[in-house]
Amino acid sequence: MEVQGESWLTTKLEPFVDWAQKNSFWPLPFGTACCAIEFMGTVSSHYDMSRFGYEVVRFSPRQSDLMIVAGTITDKMAPVLKRIYDQMPDPKWVVSMGACACSGGFYRAYHVMQGIDEIIPVDIYVPGCPPSPEGLMYGILQIKEKIDRERKASRRGGKRKGEHAA
Amino acid sequence: MTELEARPEALQLPGVQDHPKEVRPRPMSLGERLYLPLLAGMTVTLRHFFQNIFRTRERVTIQYPEERRDYSHRYRGHHILTTRPDGSVRCVACFLCATACPADCIHIEAGEHHDVNVEKYPVVYEIDMLRCVFCGYCVDACPEEAIIMSNNYDMAFYSRSQSIVGKEDLMKPFTFDPGKLGYRPRFPEEEEKRAAMRREAFDLVAAAKAKGEPQSRVAAG
Amino acid sequence: MPPEAAVALDPAAAIAAGFPEGSVVPQEGPGAPTDQPTWVVRREVLRDLCRALRDNPKTRFDLLLDVCGVDYPEREERFESVYHLYSMPRGRRLRLKVPVAEGDARIPSVVPVWKGADWFEREVYDMFGVVFEDHPNLRRILTHDGFQGHALRKDYDPARRWILTEDKIYMPKLVAPPGRSDSMFERMTINIGPSHPAMHGTFRFVAMVDGEEIVASEVEIGYLHRCMEKMSETHTWQQVIPYTDRLNYCSSFINNVAYCRTVEKLLGVEVPPKAVWARTILSEFSRVMDHCVANGSSLVDTGALTNFWYFFQVREEIYGLLEAVCGARLTVSACRIGGLLADLPPDFVARCRRLLEFIPPLIDDVEKLIDKNRIWIDRSVGIAAISGEDAVNWSWTGPCLRASGVAYDVRKAHPYDLYDTVDWQVPVLYGGDTYDRYKVRMLEIRQSLSIIRQLLDRGMPEGPFVVDDPHVALPSKEACYNQMESMIYHFKLIMDGIQVPPGETYLMTEGANGELGFYVVSDGSGKPYRLHVRAPCFPIFSTFSDLMRGHSISDAIATLGGLNVIAGELER
Repeated sequence: MEVQGESWLTTKLEPFVDWAQKNSFWPLPFGTACCAIEFMGTVSSHYDMSRFGYEVVRFSPRQSDLMIVAGTITDKMAPVLKRIYDQMPDPKWVVSMGACACSGGFYRAYHVMQGIDEIIPVDIYVPGCPPSPEGLMYGILQIKEKIDRERKASRRGGKRKGEHAA
Repeated sequence: MTELEARPEALQLPGVQDHPKEVRPRPMSLGERLYLPLLAGMTVTLRHFFQNIFRTRERVTIQYPEERRDYSHRYRGHHILTTRPDGSVRCVACFLCATACPADCIHIEAGEHHDVNVEKYPVVYEIDMLRCVFCGYCVDACPEEAIIMSNNYDMAFYSRSQSIVGKEDLMKPFTFDPGKLGYRPRFPEEEEKRAAMRREAFDLVAAAKAKGEPQSRVAAG
Repeated sequence: MPPEAAVALDPAAAIAAGFPEGSVVPQEGPGAPTDQPTWVVRREVLRDLCRALRDNPKTRFDLLLDVCGVDYPEREERFESVYHLYSMPRGRRLRLKVPVAEGDARIPSVVPVWKGADWFEREVYDMFGVVFEDHPNLRRILTHDGFQGHALRKDYDPARRWILTEDKIYMPKLVAPPGRSDSMFERMTINIGPSHPAMHGTFRFVAMVDGEEIVASEVEIGYLHRCMEKMSETHTWQQVIPYTDRLNYCSSFINNVAYCRTVEKLLGVEVPPKAVWARTILSEFSRVMDHCVANGSSLVDTGALTNFWYFFQVREEIYGLLEAVCGARLTVSACRIGGLLADLPPDFVARCRRLLEFIPPLIDDVEKLIDKNRIWIDRSVGIAAISGEDAVNWSWTGPCLRASGVAYDVRKAHPYDLYDTVDWQVPVLYGGDTYDRYKVRMLEIRQSLSIIRQLLDRGMPEGPFVVDDPHVALPSKEACYNQMESMIYHFKLIMDGIQVPPGETYLMTEGANGELGFYVVSDGSGKPYRLHVRAPCFPIFSTFSDLMRGHSISDAIATLGGLNVIAGELER
């Protein structure tokens, strides 16, 4: 059964994959500073991110699809961040957690990157210094919505995001 | 504190004269060699396990989107620009908040107000939410209580340009919900609570007087 | 007092008198620092003087607290290298200043005298370009290898960045020590970090292993160098407080207190009793919180995950208290120069009491799980052991030093706030290993809770929460709305900042990791001229590659958690 050049199986499979993907992120916490402590708070008992299916926190980029950059990224750290991002398999998403990762925060300084979007694309910016665990979870749930929207856009023939051009 | 019984030198303050040149590692007892204390550890984890299953009310996990943590009235969240009774912005564009901001994230452009008593008002008032470190210095600096904070932390942006929040967004009426106010120069609800506590203490003392008990004990309690 | 009498009374002066005239000059008179004796030393005699000060039984300056640089561009001898010494047996402090000119910025290294000087001197080299002769490994430490110039010089633009490209990343060339030719393994070099599953935080550890055993290693830091010291030079005194939060972010309140106390000392401001009381209580809660993270993460690294959840419950509850006081969980900014940011909430005491009931059962549970657990004992007893003497030579302070048998605690040795009015003890253990570091922290948690309980029993002092001085603290809002004078002070304080009189001071506070010192220089403008943080874990971590010799990689990971190295404080 062919529907506009695509098989029935693939049209049904795609929503299934998206559904699975958005409900079981495997986060890679790229924690460097204060925000990493709040990230630990998010995964520990009071907030427990596994309620959303995101508990498989992997420190290896090869097995992750959601990078949470938590903390200040300095110029010394930048090549490392870039390389780890490149090592993640597609499709992948990036949450920039906290003021430092988003924009450099109040460190307008000689050794601090003014936002990680200088080197890698960011899907969600979560403000706060550091954001409260609820704030971070809110941000991650926004990614879920973003995937939904992109899927609908791709049905209409647009380009699927997630497979970043960068 | 069995550790102290085994090693009485802990908690004693020797005069700092000579620093020990050798280390004396902790000895291991026979029971420890046989892994016996692991059983005690097992009871701890099992106790927590059953507590979490049966005592649902004592579970600490907050079911986030439906349930929220009970943040105080001092939480430093999203900013609010307060308004005058007529709905116009109260800010007089004095630039004190922008000066006090360590992150330099407040951008103001001042304009002449048609009312001569007000003199100035902000034509543009923008806060770069991604620069902001939520330290509350702007609130401290404001001489008009024109900028306060809410305890709203649900913020996320898809792009850097979206994160620059303008005057209209900062004045949005939803943020005026009195239960959602955060860090401010004055906390009226705390004043009420203090007054209530004072009344309570006063009542206690009065009740004690009526009973003929010595006052000092009641006051201390 | 005539100089001869001073020499007779002060053994340090006697030592100084033995050096050629003009090479050791005490700074005296108006403008000289008053917090501790300060000598201006010519670089030629520096190393001999230091050795004499350390070895003379009458002085025994056994601890090199800190080395930092200061830049005075208008002076002929532009750079000043400042050494802070401390004598544990005598309880005395001494500051040495070595001025050098820009074209000839060379100072003999004091690493042969105190090993702890190693990283301190590298930092001064990195930030000011002062060369330390005979230093074993003088290269950049905080900034990256593509960096040009020296960032803390006054003529360096705070926002001037340099981009690091991959080809410039430093790779240490480890030299294997001779011996052990009988090994059946080929030696190989392993790079761990800065982003590695086992390495929490941002450190890089390059080790040469012989089978399982580390034979040589090098630590690379600076991945979180956020230029806090340079930033504080561009902000007013009050605005620096949020920056101090992010030093040791596990116990940010203690950093606030340490900084505010230093500035208050320069200003000569007396903090109201209520603020002192609250500062002491919240500092101790922060210490509990910090020890929970240190022990929790150290245990997680050895596979004991359950404790981490228990410890984090403690943390979350303390966060609740801090949030009720100041509105933020982690980066509190709860102190202001002269007091606190706001009055304490009405239920403060009740909340503290609830915490005092909530925390001990969880701590007991962890102790039951861990203390006698042979798996943990095997992983920790005798691992990375360091004797008290070595630890002092490496400039250690804090719980790690107390685990090596040296009972030095700033709260006892130089009491501040309310610590001399409560009854508490300094826990000391003698193993010097990962186990005893864990145990000392557990004992300290109980001492901290005891301090809090005593202070709560004493009751909250009445009065204001911030000093009533319009030159230091913002006037109350009521005064601001109703009185023109207060309004003017309010504007002046915000626009110009607090006017701190010229001078310099060093003040120590017991941070969660050891002696947290702030060395500040004021030139009378509204901003700090120089602010240097004596971060306790900086010298502790500098020992790491020495500690790990002979151990395995898995031990290195377990040790790292036990040392509680916090990147924000380490690299600032």
